[in-house]
Amino acid sequence: MTALEDVREIREASTTSLVGVILIMIASAVGFTLLTAPFDKLLGPGGGALPAAIHGLVAFLYLFVGTIGLYLGWRLLTGHIRAFADLQLLAVVAATFSFLAICFGNWLYIYYRAPVADSPRSYFVKNMPEVHKIFFEFKEFGALFTLPLAVCAAFILWRYGVQTLERPWLRYSVAVLMGLAFFYLVVAFGLGAAVTKLRPA
Amino acid sequence: MSPSTIVVKPEEKNVEVWAPSVRERIPGGIAVGALMAAMVGMLTLAVVNVFTTASPAFNTWVHNVGKFWMPGAQGIGPYSGKETLALVGWLGSWVIMHFALRKRDLKVSRWLIVFLVGVGLATTLIWPPVFEYLGGHG
Repeated sequence: MTALEDVREIREASTTSLVGVILIMIASAVGFTLLTAPFDKLLGPGGGALPAAIHGLVAFLYLFVGTIGLYLGWRLLTGHIRAFADLQLLAVVAATFSFLAICFGNWLYIYYRAPVADSPRSYFVKNMPEVHKIFFEFKEFGALFTLPLAVCAAFILWRYGVQTLERPWLRYSVAVLMGLAFFYLVVAFGLGAAVTKLRPA
Repeated sequence: MSPSTIVVKPEEKNVEVWAPSVRERIPGGIAVGALMAAMVGMLTLAVVNVFTTASPAFNTWVHNVGKFWMPGAQGIGPYSGKETLALVGWLGSWVIMHFALRKRDLKVSRWLIVFLVGVGLATTLIWPPVFEYLGGHG
């Protein structure tokens, strides 16, 4: 085997290996937790514990992906991007997480606004009305903005492909879209975390 | 290790090198259509929310729109209808604009500015003190 073949073999194996290791680690962690820990206690006592956990998890993953996307978007804006294929993939993943976060946010919202005395909305309206009327309402609308922005960025990156790199205003557009999506994500994530800290669903 | 055992590997390519696209130039209208549709979706959400704040009857109608198809819409409330109308505005306008603009090589720069103005307007309209004021609750 030549040195070149050796290097190629390592590279080809690396992606599959990485995905495999990640899946095994996630499965191990989830399996170990479910088998040994009181998982319901981990989720919390509220009726919306499960959607809250999934919504929070997806939003956190989106924040993680969005941060990397913001950096790659900046590299795209300045014309110094090297990992264009990674940016294409990341844009799709970000749009997917945005969609999932919105779906699970909808589910959680049912518990948030439940017409009972101890629901978070009832609590806020009674004790801290500005938390619901300003911060939560801005969060719930701002969060929706991430989806069209992320989908639009992914669409341009895939539809135009390498031409995105050759046409400055397409690069600027995608970078702006990713930057705006990140802005609304951070607004929604930050306010969502704060609201949850004040009164979990 | 003696010098004779060192294997000199070829330099690894650690950056992606992109050759210029050999495909035909894709018209800018396709990107413009996607940008404008995203803006329309965001503005639809913002404007619908202002009118639901102003009119209880419209608010009820919007809620019924959500209940028409969205699981759990009864519990989600009028927000389900606002999401629905924003989705229809976004995807509907995208389909229309895509087919209307796909062969036109529009300048993306001009439309990006329009897009930014629209997004700024939508953001202003979803700020609660603003839509409460416009809805007559200020």
